[in-house]
Amino acid sequence: MTEGLLLLVGLFLPLFPLSMVFNEVFQRIRIANLRVVLLLIWPQIGLVIAHTASVEIPDWVIFWALGSALLYAFRALALREVGVWTSFIATSTWAILWLLMDGQTDFSKVALYALALSVPLALLVLLSGELEKRFGAAYTGLYGGLALSLPRLSGVLVFVVLAIVATPFFPGFSVMMAAIIGLSPHSFFAAVTVAVIWLLWSWAGARLLQGIIVGPAQDEVKTDLSLNGTWVYSVILILLVISGTYSIGNL
Amino acid sequence: MEQLLIILVPTLPLLAALINHLAYGQLGQRVAKLSVTFAVFSFVIAAVLLAQAMSGNDANQVAIGGTWGILLADPLSTLMGLLIAGISLIVRMYSVRYMIEEQGYGRFFMLLDLMTASLLIMVAAGDLLTLIVAWHLVGVLLYFLLGFDSSSKTAYRYAFWTLITYRIGDIALVLAAALLFHAFGTWTLADIFAQITENPGAHEYFGFALEELVGILLAIAAFARSAQFFLHTWLPYTMDGPTPVSALMHAGIVNAGGFLINRFATVFIHTDSVLHLLFVVGLVTAIIGSVLMLTQNDIKKALGYSTMGQMGFMIMECGVGAFSLAIYHLIAHGLFKGTLFLGAGTVINEARKSDGVPKDGLYTFVVEHRIAKRYQPWLLMAGITLIVPIIILIFAHWLVAQDFFQKQGAIVLLFFGWVTGAQLLFTTYRMGAQNVWRLVGVIVLSFAVIVLGYALISHAFDSFLYPDPEFSSQMYIAAGIDIFWFDVLVVLTTVVIVGGWLRKYYSEQNGKPGQERIGQLWTSFYALVSREFYMIDIYASLTRMLLKASSRLNILLRWR
Repeated sequence: MTEGLLLLVGLFLPLFPLSMVFNEVFQRIRIANLRVVLLLIWPQIGLVIAHTASVEIPDWVIFWALGSALLYAFRALALREVGVWTSFIATSTWAILWLLMDGQTDFSKVALYALALSVPLALLVLLSGELEKRFGAAYTGLYGGLALSLPRLSGVLVFVVLAIVATPFFPGFSVMMAAIIGLSPHSFFAAVTVAVIWLLWSWAGARLLQGIIVGPAQDEVKTDLSLNGTWVYSVILILLVISGTYSIGNL
Repeated sequence: MEQLLIILVPTLPLLAALINHLAYGQLGQRVAKLSVTFAVFSFVIAAVLLAQAMSGNDANQVAIGGTWGILLADPLSTLMGLLIAGISLIVRMYSVRYMIEEQGYGRFFMLLDLMTASLLIMVAAGDLLTLIVAWHLVGVLLYFLLGFDSSSKTAYRYAFWTLITYRIGDIALVLAAALLFHAFGTWTLADIFAQITENPGAHEYFGFALEELVGILLAIAAFARSAQFFLHTWLPYTMDGPTPVSALMHAGIVNAGGFLINRFATVFIHTDSVLHLLFVVGLVTAIIGSVLMLTQNDIKKALGYSTMGQMGFMIMECGVGAFSLAIYHLIAHGLFKGTLFLGAGTVINEARKSDGVPKDGLYTFVVEHRIAKRYQPWLLMAGITLIVPIIILIFAHWLVAQDFFQKQGAIVLLFFGWVTGAQLLFTTYRMGAQNVWRLVGVIVLSFAVIVLGYALISHAFDSFLYPDPEFSSQMYIAAGIDIFWFDVLVVLTTVVIVGGWLRKYYSEQNGKPGQERIGQLWTSFYALVSREFYMIDIYASLTRMLLKASSRLNILLRWR
């Protein structure tokens, strides 16, 4: 029974190969808003199941989760399509949540962490929609030079990617710190693995940014993100920074 | 009042960045002047805090956010704070005109202000969380500063190398912090250090003493930040960034390794072998950095490798227990390297007018009618070269601390001083001046003044940063090795140095025996150096390999 429940939770807090289900569903959906909903809800379902059924998490699942997070972080390095990149990083990020379900961390805290991890990914989905609207595809290395031609869109994209790769003051930073703090005294190898996953996110994030915003300005003039739209993104990002700053104090 | 001043030092540049961002539309290029004004105030306050620390005030601290956000005003943080505030002020003043024609002028100053604030918070951090946050942010901000020209893919490629290397260091620091937190249950540095001092070696993790494990992790963090061998490739290649950023990076940011080691001196003095590791890595870096510097034909890249060599020397100084000397070194290096970078453009302009290659002796004799060089007897000059510097060095150090020669680390540093002095006198010999003795006299006098000044200032730094003599001597003890092996090494090194110089002098005057065979070896070595020991190629192929593997895995798993 427990194994069955673990597998069910492993579907929503994706463990490889169960993670392929989420990636299949996410990539089949082409509507940005639906993708946003999926990103916000998917890990919460897993957490609710784990919490309601009071699932005890054995050590081997922790290592399985670590392996899954590492696998998807590594696979994200070579990706150029922003949608696939988002789903892979989401998979890698949510797998880290297993490490926080040690029975000592509040369920509500883990649920909030999951939400805070999903929000920047959801913002990236919306931004990739903006890119698709302008260029027909959200793809790195295809056009480039957006920092010069679409400065507002690029600026927001930079901050969203920084939030995703767990830069300090964003909630992801506290999640990664909490995971490393929890693991390091017991398994140095596992703590180093989490740190390597974090490093791979940074690498993948830098490749994504460089493939989109860097380069000479586009010849063809495209409309930049509207001022109102920029404000909405900014407010959400500021809220993330506030929650991230608050969560550092709770480490 | 002092607490307000402590907060104001990093807050002023933060405020400048915020105003810059919000009011660039109204202020336009005047934001640069605003940034400079705030930097002046920040510098003045940092100077006041240092003056207070020097006048004997107790270390003060202010806690902004409960368990984290603690800012210190102790000797180390105030000294480093003044250095950073000073260098970043000069860099900003220089940038006002230098960057005026660049697109994103306001963004540049905003990033510069944020970087200054992060660096100031980093050196003042009184808890592990604040230190990690600031440490991490410095890497991220440097990535965007180095890639300031967003149209340049090359600038971003090398900025990326920097980011990844810095992230490796960040990871090590995070792991070290996690272990310290678990062991002592607090993030506050003062509490952690107090517990380590009270009961060293009380905690063990994975079969290692906590101090040993944390020391190694901190050393890795310092290696990444200070471009030590294996983690150095980013430094000489980040020259596509704006010159003021290079100046700030080489004068301030790379010094973070030396700062970190000093901040955690309490941990390092309780380790067995970490200081030896620092010595070896620092020594290798110093040698390789200097060798690579000599083979560069691009002035900025040569300066980059020069920084690498200097950073190696700084880490090596920590490795022999001379922690405060490393701080003095990083300040002196920061000032002269910052000046060199900011003056690099002028040198390049001058080089376009004259190549500066010395004329051949035969040419100056025949065409310019200058008298041919005269050489003094080689044995006499070799004797002077070897004996005079060591006498000056021993005298200067004896003057400031009679027990100096009891410390192994001090003896090691004397060797380096000796080699430097000998090289200086050898250059005099090679110059073949008309009045050799006057030149030698002037150089010996200059050397004596420098050595004496260096000894006095480093002694003053030691008294300021580590006023407890017992703690200070513990650093040298932790860096020491078995006395028998130390004596063997001293004798061997002396023989090598004396033999090497005698041979050098002899071959200068009497030709070079076995030159053909050495020439071939030399060519092979030069080829190796010109390819920068293939480090760049190795890392590039490793990166390609990883990306290929990632791509293949995606194909195999059908992107799901």
